Amino acid sequence: MDIQNTQSQMRKGVLEFCILSIIQQGEVYPSDIVEKMKLANLHILEGTLYPLLTRLKNAGLLNYRWVESISGPPRKYFVMTEEGKAAFGILLQTWKEMATAVDQLTQEKTNTAENSNQAVS
Amino acid sequence: MNKVININFQGRILPIEEQAYEILKQYIESLRVYFANEEGRDEIINDIECRIAELCEDRLKKGTVCIAANDIDLIITSIGRPADFEAQDGFEASTSQTQQNTSGNNSSNFYRDGNRPKRLYRDEQNKVLGGVCSGIANYFVIEPWVVRILWFFLIGINILAYLILWIAVPSTSVKVVGGVRKRLFRDIDNKIIGGVAAGLSKYFGIQVWIVRILFLIPFIRFVANFRHMHLFQFWDAPDFPNFLDITFSPGAVFVYIVLWLVLPEAKTSADKLEMVGEKVDLNSIKNTIQNDMEGFSKRAQSWGSDLYNRNKGTNNMNESNDSHESSENHRSTENRKGLLYYIGRIITLCIKGFVYFILAIVGISLLAALFGIGAAATALLPLKNFLIEDGAQTWSVIGAILLFVWVPIIGIVTAVIRKIAGLKKANVWVRSSFIALWVLGWVCIFYFGSSLGNSFSRHNAPAEQSVALTNPTINYVEITAAPKMKYYENHWYQFEDFQGFSDEDTVYVRNLRIRIVQSKTDSFEVKIVKLSNGKTVQNANELASKINFELTQQDSMLYLDKGIGINKIDKFRNQHIIMTIAVPIGKRIKITNKGWSQTNININGRGIRTGTIDRITNDENWYDEWNEPWDNESYQFEKGIEYKMTKTGLESVSPRDIDEDRSDDIKKMDNENLDKEIQLQKLKEEREAIKNDIKKLKEEELQKDKIKVVKVNGLKKDDIGNSNLEKMNKIGKAAGKLSDLQWVLDRFTH
Repeated sequence: MDIQNTQSQMRKGVLEFCILSIIQQGEVYPSDIVEKMKLANLHILEGTLYPLLTRLKNAGLLNYRWVESISGPPRKYFVMTEEGKAAFGILLQTWKEMATAVDQLTQEKTNTAENSNQAVS
Repeated sequence: MNKVININFQGRILPIEEQAYEILKQYIESLRVYFANEEGRDEIINDIECRIAELCEDRLKKGTVCIAANDIDLIITSIGRPADFEAQDGFEASTSQTQQNTSGNNSSNFYRDGNRPKRLYRDEQNKVLGGVCSGIANYFVIEPWVVRILWFFLIGINILAYLILWIAVPSTSVKVVGGVRKRLFRDIDNKIIGGVAAGLSKYFGIQVWIVRILFLIPFIRFVANFRHMHLFQFWDAPDFPNFLDITFSPGAVFVYIVLWLVLPEAKTSADKLEMVGEKVDLNSIKNTIQNDMEGFSKRAQSWGSDLYNRNKGTNNMNESNDSHESSENHRSTENRKGLLYYIGRIITLCIKGFVYFILAIVGISLLAALFGIGAAATALLPLKNFLIEDGAQTWSVIGAILLFVWVPIIGIVTAVIRKIAGLKKANVWVRSSFIALWVLGWVCIFYFGSSLGNSFSRHNAPAEQSVALTNPTINYVEITAAPKMKYYENHWYQFEDFQGFSDEDTVYVRNLRIRIVQSKTDSFEVKIVKLSNGKTVQNANELASKINFELTQQDSMLYLDKGIGINKIDKFRNQHIIMTIAVPIGKRIKITNKGWSQTNININGRGIRTGTIDRITNDENWYDEWNEPWDNESYQFEKGIEYKMTKTGLESVSPRDIDEDRSDDIKKMDNENLDKEIQLQKLKEEREAIKNDIKKLKEEELQKDKIKVVKVNGLKKDDIGNSNLEKMNKIGKAAGKLSDLQWVLDRFTH
């Protein structure tokens, strides 16, 4: 089994969800998303972020606004649409279910592992 | 020492070292390649550029004088290189594919996963040979076997297309996204029609003109193949499908159109990079094919069981739980939407392809027709003396042929060659002089047409001449051409195949029409009217009087002359002859085409107009009268059939001979008849002999009976019985033979 592949699959699965949850908190500039995720110890490259944002925007979940900046040309800020909020709600629900499920399963597994260890000893 | 340049980058003026600028340019190029298939590619790249510009400006604000190479490197690292993206985001086709396969669905829609725009891949997972068919099936969201069956039926055309697609279309196992990989594009910068040839040449790294020639060979062959052209009857309906025949090789056109529709244009520089990309040499092609072939037999074997399993799988799926089903439903609705969309697209593409195809055909055939006319006219040029007056008319016809026909052909051909060779268009002067010459050609053709029309504008005053027959009261007349003579089609202006007929100064035309009318007397009459056109009535009269057409009679055969001689001084002015044959009631006539089987003569047979022979007057209306509807069906008269004149018209006597070679046929028939007659005679004799035999036997019998009665005591019973039996048998046999003979005779006499 390709562990790296599975890891990247896992990360990929939650990436959009994480980004949506950041944007859901309010209008945001892409590099701020990177910063916020870095704080949460999730590293993402801007080069990966932009295509994701564009896809989400094209899917109608996000929208953007040009905001004047003090230095240089206006910057693109992303906001969530109503559709995006609905989608986020569903994803959040799924995540919670999955988190509990995964927690339960992993705990069970560790428990049984402990039990078997005990039995062996 | 580094050169610093100022660039305007996303609305910001940045001083940047040239080296750094190069790095930046390369980086953005690599992004373009990486995102080549993203829907919002330009937007993504724009956003990233904005961000880079912003970061650069930050550095400048911090006091850097200009952006150096290491600054750019840092910025790029913070944003990420394509290789880094790949490690981080798992948007590879292969991963989603494995997912699909494990979940038991076929991979028909996985290319749309992850919002990835569709692109034609060879499907490694579901392939039989090279995966082209299943790849196409995936692309259009249909079942692979549909494509395979279609492909199989079009096998002749498709082998080439399959090979090209096999080689050109990336396989799903190719994961080098972001790296520079070769892809087949249409090269719109160097295009003539669709850029397919140019794209192919870029892909294979060969000269453009080689590919173009390869595409053109079938067309050139077609043009060179003059058998397709019946000169002026080019659009003859039954011949038209030949045009699409394999000799024309629709393969090339078809492949071209398919590739045109399927291949994307190389629009951006990233596309162009991909287009020339890494080398696809013979070795790598060989490797691909070899690898694919190795797995072929194995796959073919497992294919059947796969199908079986899949069916089983779908059954199982119906029984599976609710959540599974709901997800299935979701997928299928998605599918349907996609299906409609792609059906629409396919229809549009088909229409587009069809229109282009028709246009191409029209263009090609126009050129071919022009070429045919030009060739025919030039070939007939030596004969012009028989038609065209010296001076202005001659010059105008030469001008018309050269300028009106050949100039555009040369123009188009040179333009095509220039395009193929990749030269620039001919300059304005050359082109406009071509056009000017062509206009001159129009002038010539109009002048020639009107002047030639003028030469034919009048016709002569006709006079009827009787042809004396040696024995006009015979019962049967057969009209035929002199032996070993060809007969021309006698359409009014028909020129055909003068070879072998034109001695130095004369050609012969067969403008002959034969009318059959009812005779008022009991003898055959033959009358001839010589007709001609001319510039003036006098001229026409003179030409008509010069017509020398002789009929030779030999018993009941009337031999026609070999034609109307036309010499170079008098020219062809539609000299023609109408021959009227009056057939007495109850007498027979036959017109054959012995020895010139392939030609026709118009014969007016059915219309019985007893009066017409005397009808020619000075009145101008006669001409219309004589311009009878020769091709009218009611006037049909078949050659080689004997007709009998009755009060109401002609009636056929002999059944129509099917074989065209009549003389041989008749001989054969005669021989057969003779044989049969002899046989009949023999049979009759035999019958007589048998009858006699029977008589004798019967008499013998009677006598023996008497003897038996007399000498019954002197003979043993058995002997008598035996001899009687033998005799009875003999009689029986003879009777049987007799009845057989009777039957045969009946048939013959019948």
